[in-house]
Amino acid sequence: MSVYITSTGAFLPGPPIAVEEVEGVLGAIHGKPSWLRVQIQKANKIQTRHYAIDKNQQTTHSNTLMATNAASECLDRSYISRDKVGMLAVATTQGDHPAPGMASMVQAELGLPELEILTAHGICSSSMMALKAAWNSLRLEEHEAALVVSSELASRLLKKQRYEAATKSTFAEKSVDFNTEFLRWMLSDGAGALLLQNRPAPKGVSLRIDWVRGFSHAHAFPTCMSVGSAGRVDDERTWQDYDTYADAETAGALLMRQDVRLLDNILRMGVDGYLRLAEEGVSKPAEVDHFLCHYSSHHFKDKILELLDAAGVGIPEERWWTNLYTRGNTGAASLFIMIDEFLRTDEVEISEGQTILCFVPESGRFNTTYMQLTVVKQ
Amino acid sequence: MNDGEIMIDGVSNTSKSNQESEGINLNPNAQKCLQQLLRVWLGFERDLSTVPLLRRIDLGTYTIEDHLCLLRNLRQQVIEGARWITRAASSFDRNHAGIRSTIISHAVDEHRDYELLEQDYVASGGKIEDILGMERNIGSEALHGYLMHRSSRQNPIDLLGAMWIIEGLGEKMARSWAERIQELTGLTEDSTRFMSYHGHNDGDHMLRFYEMLDEVCVDEMATSSIVKTSKVVARLYRLQLEEVEHGLE
Repeated sequence: MSVYITSTGAFLPGPPIAVEEVEGVLGAIHGKPSWLRVQIQKANKIQTRHYAIDKNQQTTHSNTLMATNAASECLDRSYISRDKVGMLAVATTQGDHPAPGMASMVQAELGLPELEILTAHGICSSSMMALKAAWNSLRLEEHEAALVVSSELASRLLKKQRYEAATKSTFAEKSVDFNTEFLRWMLSDGAGALLLQNRPAPKGVSLRIDWVRGFSHAHAFPTCMSVGSAGRVDDERTWQDYDTYADAETAGALLMRQDVRLLDNILRMGVDGYLRLAEEGVSKPAEVDHFLCHYSSHHFKDKILELLDAAGVGIPEERWWTNLYTRGNTGAASLFIMIDEFLRTDEVEISEGQTILCFVPESGRFNTTYMQLTVVKQ
Repeated sequence: MNDGEIMIDGVSNTSKSNQESEGINLNPNAQKCLQQLLRVWLGFERDLSTVPLLRRIDLGTYTIEDHLCLLRNLRQQVIEGARWITRAASSFDRNHAGIRSTIISHAVDEHRDYELLEQDYVASGGKIEDILGMERNIGSEALHGYLMHRSSRQNPIDLLGAMWIIEGLGEKMARSWAERIQELTGLTEDSTRFMSYHGHNDGDHMLRFYEMLDEVCVDEMATSSIVKTSKVVARLYRLQLEEVEHGLE
């Protein structure tokens, strides 16, 4: 049973925010401009991004609402009625509620009755996990159509008040705490949605899903990107182990961290996974027409290019396409937002039979995910 | 802070080497072998993160004691390394005279590296007699035994797989361990000279490696023997590193 992406949608909250406006939205911590902002923004080369908070750091769109808006756009563009959707799979790093799962909330907001739901929890690669589950349920012929949504509201974790409240954290102790501040200038908000069906859309372009694969290396590596602990080696508590949530916040256990020293491992494991797929004959680098690679920062693009080339499985740069630079790094939502715009952009020609390789690495604890799509035109 | 230098050991040298001598175009068997070697390397490097002493470098809890322990254990491997590589050179017949020359000159470069290790040990506060008196750990025994066995066979081309892992680790030490160890322990460059030194030499070594690979890796049998030996060496090398904290009593 072949499964196709027959419609897509995306939602980016508020106006595009330029590089120099970012600190005005997230807020300058204790009123002082960041020492690291310019350096990190220069490296990631993201020009504009979107936030679901305003300049007073008040939430303008909930995560559920962004997911719902992207899903609605996707369904409105489709050729099927909403009651044909048998499954809703939603991926996010942090929903509006720790419980229940975000898929419940998005279902309610969309008003889709009596369908199967799945919430995938993770970071960037959770979108692929949700998509794979939906793809499989269609392959098993349990449903005719499944809606997959990924949405991120990172800015709530990155606003100045979070850092100001962490008075006993590594961030408060160090003059520059790179690991704790890094993601502040990387991540932003948005949502994307894909409709999966067991037949191509009657008109226009559909994308057949050829395969989805993932390789996680959490058994070997320490955690690299996380929320929930204070970032001290000798302190094993996680946020719920503190007497009060206020204590957890004070200790910095609710701040988002990236151990940047470990980051290069995700590129190596990304190349390892692709070499594995090439070795198995699942992917043939020479036959990839378009490469949609979720890299979090321009900084990593050249590194990935170089590594793939050196390994003899290079994909020429002109076949790469991304909207990272204008839409921002929206974590789990990035790939779907990318696919949505890729299908509409005039920058590339998309023709019948072309192969699209998608790659979503997740540095959290080193998960690498890959997908191949084939262009089908009616 | 990570300064953004992200390299796969050996591979970064590949691209560098290719620029330096565009003449090296690996034959299809060698290219395939290199891709498989790369996966062995990446798996080896990943699994090093599970070795307790090395994980402390990742986590930032590595101490001077750890460093002394690592150096004590590395010394025997380095001494024995000089022996198997010269043994391997003598096992190549006259049809492989080019490779023999390459391996001999490589051995000349490195066969007294253990003296650097001894100096590093003393500079780190260790007593010279402790490092001189250290016997091979369980993993070093296994690794050394295996390498001497393979290198005693006629034309042991599979040892390219061993060189791939050991050279790669040399570069990794220089790239990700030396400076980090100084930062974590407060030791100076004098304590990590063995590690740093390896990085400087390895560009040339890798170029010669690719030339050798292109020359000997001409069929599937050669590929599979090279890849298998690289896997065994990777596993035994990790065993050696896992054993550094185990007493021999």
